[in-house]
Amino acid sequence: MDQNQVEILKRALDREKNARKAAEKILEEKSRELYFTSQKLENLLNEKSSELQGVFENIVDAYVVIDLNGKILKFNEAATKLFGYDIDKEGVNVAKLIHKDDFQYAEECFNNLLSHGFFKDYETRVYTKSKEVKWVHVNGSIVFDKDNKPVAAQGIVRDITEERASAEKLIESESRLATLVLNLDSGIILEDENRNIVLTNTKFCELFKIDAQPSDLYGMDCATASEKNKVLFKNPEGFIQRMQSIDKAKETVIGDELEMLDGTILERNYMPINIGDKSKGFLWTFTDVTLKRTYRKRLEAQRQKYFSIIANMNLGLVEVNNDDEILMINQSFSEMSGYKEEELLGKKSREIYPIEDGSEIIAKEHEKRRRGESNSYELKVKTKQGDIRYWLISGAPNFNLNGDVVGSIGVHLDITELKELELQKEKLLIKLEKSNDELQEYAHIVSHDLKSPLRSIDALVSWLKEDNKGKLDEMSLKNFELIEATLEKMEQLITDVLDYSSVGAEKIETEAVDLDKILSDVITILYIPEHININAIHPLPTLKGDAIKLQQLFQNLISNAVKFIDKEEGIITIDFEDLKSHYKFSIQDNGIGIDKQFHDKIFKIFHTLNKSKDSTGIGLSIVKKIVDLHEGQIWLESQLNVGTTFYFTLKK
Amino acid sequence: MKTLNILLIEDDMIEVMKLNRTISSLQLNHKIIEANNGEDALKILEQKDVLPDIILLDLNMPKINGIEFLGILKNDETLKYIPTIILTTSNNQKDLLECYKIGVAGYVLKPLKYEDYMTKIEKLLAYWSINELIKV
Repeated sequence: MDQNQVEILKRALDREKNARKAAEKILEEKSRELYFTSQKLENLLNEKSSELQGVFENIVDAYVVIDLNGKILKFNEAATKLFGYDIDKEGVNVAKLIHKDDFQYAEECFNNLLSHGFFKDYETRVYTKSKEVKWVHVNGSIVFDKDNKPVAAQGIVRDITEERASAEKLIESESRLATLVLNLDSGIILEDENRNIVLTNTKFCELFKIDAQPSDLYGMDCATASEKNKVLFKNPEGFIQRMQSIDKAKETVIGDELEMLDGTILERNYMPINIGDKSKGFLWTFTDVTLKRTYRKRLEAQRQKYFSIIANMNLGLVEVNNDDEILMINQSFSEMSGYKEEELLGKKSREIYPIEDGSEIIAKEHEKRRRGESNSYELKVKTKQGDIRYWLISGAPNFNLNGDVVGSIGVHLDITELKELELQKEKLLIKLEKSNDELQEYAHIVSHDLKSPLRSIDALVSWLKEDNKGKLDEMSLKNFELIEATLEKMEQLITDVLDYSSVGAEKIETEAVDLDKILSDVITILYIPEHININAIHPLPTLKGDAIKLQQLFQNLISNAVKFIDKEEGIITIDFEDLKSHYKFSIQDNGIGIDKQFHDKIFKIFHTLNKSKDSTGIGLSIVKKIVDLHEGQIWLESQLNVGTTFYFTLKK
Repeated sequence: MKTLNILLIEDDMIEVMKLNRTISSLQLNHKIIEANNGEDALKILEQKDVLPDIILLDLNMPKINGIEFLGILKNDETLKYIPTIILTTSNNQKDLLECYKIGVAGYVLKPLKYEDYMTKIEKLLAYWSINELIKV
């Protein structure tokens, strides 16, 4: 071997030696590291196992250990709490805990445990000591001894009673919601991004005349389906186009109206459903609004009708608010008042057209409106042209939807002509009354003026007789007597004419009049000859009338009866009968009687049958007038030479 | 029996004659002062020292009528004490009422017959002759 070779080998050996040294050093370091690590691990293991022990002891869920016969060996605190048993004091078998309906299921699980060594997610009902039923979730496994022989089973038991209940509730509410959707009065379609139907309901099928269950439609493509449905609509292409554009925009659309061929009107709404940022689909709803629309149309027609009635009626219409500011007038009112609508709007009505105390009247009437009262009143107004007019206004309060009074509406009728007639009538009445009074006065004066000469003649005649006592022959004395009788008759005539004119001219004074008293007064006043008897069969009633005139009535009839009795024994019988609204009186005599042909004539003025010194022919005319004034009738029955009965009725 | 100074206000000549004749035929000593109308009567009454004891007043007269005259009389502080008796043909209720309202001492209707007239006048004067009267 040459030196060179030795040198090379030597150097190589050295290199190897160094390398081994370095490797040994690394190894040494590593084994030291390993030692520390295993030391650490051992500690960790100890820690962990004691930790685990604690976990089982302190675990929130119940931890149960049983032997293979089911006898409970160990309960942690949670288990004790859950089941209610203190196993240190009493022996309990699992069989006692299992719900009677879940027994078979429990057995299966236990077999499973024995064959596989564990079971998972066993959910069952159990009894607690107080016989309460609880839902529990159990994960179990077998415990082996060091010889790998099964000795016990352990399980984690979680009380899921509440979870279970809320889950049930959730299912219940979901199914309720589903039922609701299914039976909703609107047709709905929920579609996904690809326009496939996710949800729909009975109403939708009904509206679109689809003969299928809603569930049959799930998964169908809406776009294809609508191509089929479009024929139902009056404007099929419009229906498709609008749908496509809505789908494209993917934005909420409310209140589209679709008219169907059968006249149904559908309202279509569209809205994307997002939960958080996530799209959950797109909801179409269809509602049958036919009734609502036609109702609205009818309402509109009614509105139009009333509007045109208001606009064209011949009555002025004014609406004011609570401050009397004019809100609306119709054309007729504009014509009535002479003001244009724009001249009146916003103005206070009481400051524009009323005159005299009209403003106060309006204020008073508005007060009534505010209390909710309606009524009519008259107003004297001045139009824009300055004409004085009379209006009859029928006012009513105007209510808002809450029932508050917000103003009033007045219907105005121009009654100027009527009013003028009324005023004219009043004037005429006053004039008539005055001229009646004047006539009455005139009658009195005339009768006085006519009677005065009669009195003078009588005085002169009696002086002639007195001054020529003993000088006058029989014939002259007789003639003087005739003059005196004629004067008397003349005076009676004047008195009667005056009475007759007074009967109608004076206003009738109505008061309660006791006719029985009137009759006895009359009998006292009148001269009744000895041979005449007056019998009143019943006491006469009391009625409303004019006492003086009624007395005159009885006086005239009775004195007539007395006058015409030609029998040796005269009988006058007075009686009455109660009719509904009137009394019927009768005055019967046994006098000369009146021929039938004169029965109507005798009530006419100056008609007398027997020209006698004490009959002027006015008495019965006065009687008739008085009966007329008391809204009654008079007639008679008579037989010549037997007697006469006058009948008359008087209003009660 | 007292003798009365009677003021008769009457426009009818025969009526005046009737009263005069009645008084003389009844042989009464009353003194009659005649006035044909209200104006004349007022002139007579101006002489306050010779005032009549009673006044007989007709209602229907020309110019101032009886009721107007009565009103003037009753407004006079002195004259209002003279008893005034209406002697008239008017049985108008209105007149009767008005007269008593203003104030009269009587209201006598002139009857048609002269004998009846005499009877009424006799009684009327007899009544006033026994009355105590205010003397000015």
